[in-house]
Amino acid sequence: MKKMDRKLANRYFKERTRYMSFYFIVWFVVSYGVVIFAEPLSHFSINGYPFHYFMGAQGSIVTFIVLLFINASVSDAIDKKFGILKNDNKRLNKEKAINN
Amino acid sequence: MDTQFLVSLSVIMASFAIYIGIAIYNKARATSDFYVAGRGVPAVFNGMAIGADWMSAASFIGMAGTIMLLGYDGLAYIMGWTGGYLLLTFLLAPQLRKYGRYTVPEFIGDRYESHWARFIAAVCTIIISFTYSIGQLSGSGVVIGRLFEIDAKFGTMIGVVLIAFYAAFGGMKGITWTQVAQYIILITAYLIPVIFMSLQLTGNPMPWISYGEIIGKMGELDRELGISEYFAPFTNDTKWQFIALMFTLMAGTAGLPHVIVRFYTVSSMKAARWSGAWALLFIGLLYLSAPAYAAFSRFILMTNVAGSKITELPEWTQPWIDTGRLQLADENGDGILQWNELIISNDIVVMATPEIANLGVFVIGLVAAGAMAAALSTAGGLMIAISSSFAHDIYYRVWKPEATEQTRLKVARWSIATATLLAGVIALDPPGAITQIVAWAFALATGTFFPALVLGVWWKRSNTKGVIAGLLVGLITTLSYIFAAKYGGFTILGIIDTGAGVFGAAAAFLTNIIVSLATDEPSQKIQEEVIDLRYPEQMVYKDGEVWLVDDHKKTSH
Repeated sequence: MKKMDRKLANRYFKERTRYMSFYFIVWFVVSYGVVIFAEPLSHFSINGYPFHYFMGAQGSIVTFIVLLFINASVSDAIDKKFGILKNDNKRLNKEKAINN
Repeated sequence: MDTQFLVSLSVIMASFAIYIGIAIYNKARATSDFYVAGRGVPAVFNGMAIGADWMSAASFIGMAGTIMLLGYDGLAYIMGWTGGYLLLTFLLAPQLRKYGRYTVPEFIGDRYESHWARFIAAVCTIIISFTYSIGQLSGSGVVIGRLFEIDAKFGTMIGVVLIAFYAAFGGMKGITWTQVAQYIILITAYLIPVIFMSLQLTGNPMPWISYGEIIGKMGELDRELGISEYFAPFTNDTKWQFIALMFTLMAGTAGLPHVIVRFYTVSSMKAARWSGAWALLFIGLLYLSAPAYAAFSRFILMTNVAGSKITELPEWTQPWIDTGRLQLADENGDGILQWNELIISNDIVVMATPEIANLGVFVIGLVAAGAMAAALSTAGGLMIAISSSFAHDIYYRVWKPEATEQTRLKVARWSIATATLLAGVIALDPPGAITQIVAWAFALATGTFFPALVLGVWWKRSNTKGVIAGLLVGLITTLSYIFAAKYGGFTILGIIDTGAGVFGAAAAFLTNIIVSLATDEPSQKIQEEVIDLRYPEQMVYKDGEVWLVDDHKKTSH
């Protein structure tokens, strides 16, 4: 085990948090945002659906799925950048679980 | 006995044979197998298992019917049940995985250094999972009731026996691989009828693209009938109810003990993130199809069934009238069934539509098997959550630390049998539609675990007294609101029982924060452990310094 620069560790945390805040803003806009403005948005239509209905039934879900995959690969990239993804995380955290 | 009965029964039996075969092959051998499947399930398969665990009778049987009856307002279920995975995967799953415990009450008990917190969390887990399983048993009642053409009550009794036997038998390891099989069966069973209906109605095999056109046509039909348009927003409940329900389902998703425990079955934080992504992709396949299912069913009912003579109704109506979930009454006595004379329960729409659309005996049997897979797989996961809370967190960690492994397994199996029986008794006369009962379980998780876990992972200052007060206040607020809204007609801003989680969560967050700040801060060790959760598992926070775990040493640090 070797000591790591505390500043570097904090940069890791900040970078992860920044991405996460961005994901949550998108998440909020496509779900709560669209619901709050459902009436005015219903005048637009997309592929035969009123826009608010499209977002509720399809648009928001697809956005959620895409965000989760972006998060998973961006997180892997960040881990790699900070040099902690060398042995593919196969280590089992067993000693921390209560094994009995 | 008709052909339909024989075909449905054989498809169900065949699917059961597959599950039991897989369960025997992977029979639980040790405690770690029983609870967390030995922590070695790859992310894609874990995603499927989470999908099957997650997609319960509420998703499979109830959701399309709920959307069909509520129109746009029903989409709160779709967005709530998918959007919650972001909260879960970003805020909780990897961190809880790093903390490395078997169950949610175990995390709460250790993070907050308190047997009382552990005990209350275990009781909350039991209440939430119990409420949820009432919905599952009620769902299996609908399926079995239709199969044997008997009242859904008797169907529920048969379901109780099946589920108690099934869940007590396997444990988590058996269940993980069984659930992969169940996911494949349930998604196939869901997609085939939607694709066929899409072909029948629009000539396009892609329901996700084609049902926009049906929605437009339905708007015209609704205007002709003088009822509010299918896609018009907030016609059944207020906008606040929509938002409250969506929030409740999202936060509940992140706090549901039987879902979180699935993230303990992966090998790392990285795998937890990928599991969350795969899970939502697999779940999304069904959730993107449910609104199409709803639209097609409503369209077929409006154009083919409504307007026909009462004496010449199609054959499929009788068995559903027998289950007590379909009512057709010629109220104005003109001999013709009008749209508003047809009362169809949310819970039979998915099961009945393949018959309504004349999709043939095999598809109908397959849907029955898929519905059973959905109810069984979720009930299995719930029963594991109940039994581990009771046998592991209460019995072993608090009550009898000297108990042997055999005794604990025995206690776990008996608690499954007891819980299933009790839930079955309530499900005989279900207190609401399946989606509604399940929404209560989510409201309870939102009001209790969501605040306790979010603060536990992200705020080192949150302490024992804070979490105990928060859990209790959240539980009581949510329960009282559900009862007051359902039975007393009490509402705030038009928010009904299913949106109760908003108030529970607000009360629990406030209580936890205020009580924590008013009392001593947690021990140095605990605060360090909480900071440690910010970093990946290769980084360890200790004594104000961050350490990088050596790559060569595999397990120690």
